[in-house]
Amino acid sequence: MHIHLVQLLSPSKTPTALALPLFTGKVAAGFPSPADDYIEKTLDLNELLVQKPSATFFARAQGESMLGAGIHPDDILIVDRSLEPVSGRIVICALNGELVVKRLKNQAGQWLLASENPYYPDIPLHEELEMVVWGVVTNVIHPL
Amino acid sequence: MPQCIALVDANNFYVSCERIFRPDLIGKPVVVLSNNDGIIVARSQEVKDLGIKMGAPVFQVQGLINRHKIQLFSSNYTLYADMSSRVMSVLEEFTPCLEVYSIDEAFLDLTGVCSDDPIAYGQQIKKTVFRSTGIPVCVGMGPTKTLAKLANFAAKRWKQTGGVLDLSDPARREKLMRIVSVKEVWGIGSRIAARLNQLGIRTVWDLADQPVDRIQDQFNITIARTVMELKGIACLELDAVAPDKQQIVSSRSFSHRLTECRELSEALSEFCSRAAEKLRHQNSVAGYISVFLRTNPFNLDEPQYQRAAGLTLPFATQDTRVIVATANRLLKSMFKPGYRYQKCGVQLGKIAPATVPGQADLFEFAAGDAGHRAQLMQALDQVNRRFPHSTRIAAAGFDQSWKPKAERISKRYTTDWEELVIVKC
Repeated sequence: MHIHLVQLLSPSKTPTALALPLFTGKVAAGFPSPADDYIEKTLDLNELLVQKPSATFFARAQGESMLGAGIHPDDILIVDRSLEPVSGRIVICALNGELVVKRLKNQAGQWLLASENPYYPDIPLHEELEMVVWGVVTNVIHPL
Repeated sequence: MPQCIALVDANNFYVSCERIFRPDLIGKPVVVLSNNDGIIVARSQEVKDLGIKMGAPVFQVQGLINRHKIQLFSSNYTLYADMSSRVMSVLEEFTPCLEVYSIDEAFLDLTGVCSDDPIAYGQQIKKTVFRSTGIPVCVGMGPTKTLAKLANFAAKRWKQTGGVLDLSDPARREKLMRIVSVKEVWGIGSRIAARLNQLGIRTVWDLADQPVDRIQDQFNITIARTVMELKGIACLELDAVAPDKQQIVSSRSFSHRLTECRELSEALSEFCSRAAEKLRHQNSVAGYISVFLRTNPFNLDEPQYQRAAGLTLPFATQDTRVIVATANRLLKSMFKPGYRYQKCGVQLGKIAPATVPGQADLFEFAAGDAGHRAQLMQALDQVNRRFPHSTRIAAAGFDQSWKPKAERISKRYTTDWEELVIVKC
């Protein structure tokens, strides 16, 4: 059930190789370009930003509590679900049924979902709070 | 060394896909509806517990839906296909040989991979799939595919298994087989089960204990093979490679260059109709559709553009409408204005006989009223034979009419930049 869509921006399974399944070759007629021997590869953002395509998801940020971490409203977050959510990482978690972005922190044995904006409080984790880590945020795409 | 085969099967796959992006629905009753929102094709455990059956028409259970505030979703095959491909690629890390059996299940050959502790390996698979994709799965293991299927069934039914069960030990196998009804065996449909019951064969054990030649005499070689598989003798191999390499291609160079997407779409729809006709003529279905388009590569004075894209359908089809609609979607994903196009075409792949025994019922539900479709397509072919090329499937401009009713469809969270899941900061 694989989808092989020509969609350069999606984290495809084999990033760039998928882009042009047919007709990727050069035109058969004519002389080969003398520069051909020097072509190595093109730079691929997937290679830089996506370690595990099967576990990588994108999400859109809403709100300003993480401005200090460089996450602005409408930014796209790159999320790797396979990474270990250790203290200090920015995570997406399902908090009482809602997906939220915070920095996971362990301060003297107390786990916190910390904001990166002084106007927003940190959320200490306790028994009654239903919290499941959804994935670890690895990068932010922020248009300038 | 005996074989070790695992069947990994997602739990309530479509519902699980929806819940990944809607954590508020975890623990709440959820169903996914068929193409036209008419029939229930996937149920969460809470819905199963209410006694709502697979394939139930929505109007019949409307009362229960209202009373229990059951959340309804139209089927979002774009999302399910993407999640399926993620699950399969995680599974590929665990075995040198993987057979993708359906959108939500795969056989893995683990022979020699996990001989010391199969259960621990199965748990590792389950944990990794869930961690990476958010999809919960159960793992059944055994020396044959049929036993792996049975193990998976038991792993799903009995929570104490922790979702992982190994049936390589014959004593353990017998214990389980004695308490499971024969109709749960892979490949035993309800009609065969009824005949077996008449012969006094009620449990899986009753069947596994039969002499193979007796079953072959009274039934057929397929059922006899099932009996051997239940005895632990492998008869069915893993289909790791795509069995059918057949393709149907329909394409043409245009007499004059085309520049509009609408024009290309009309031509492409025509090619699709021809290809679908060929498909039905040989009584096959296609599981893969790809489309290509290009400018004239020999006219170097013109800007050049060439693209191809394909996708695997969630269920194989011979329906012109599905093929046309899919091909047009692919075309739209690739089309760029400002070029003079010389050629486009469609290619159908993953071609298989129209009726494959043992194919999951789910796909029949998913495909909607398959019977009606076949009739409609037959009528279309007859008209076209009498009055060649008179009847066509409407293409561009009527695009909306193709879309099945899908009023409660969720977002294409993983394949469309405009539909990403929103997370609160």
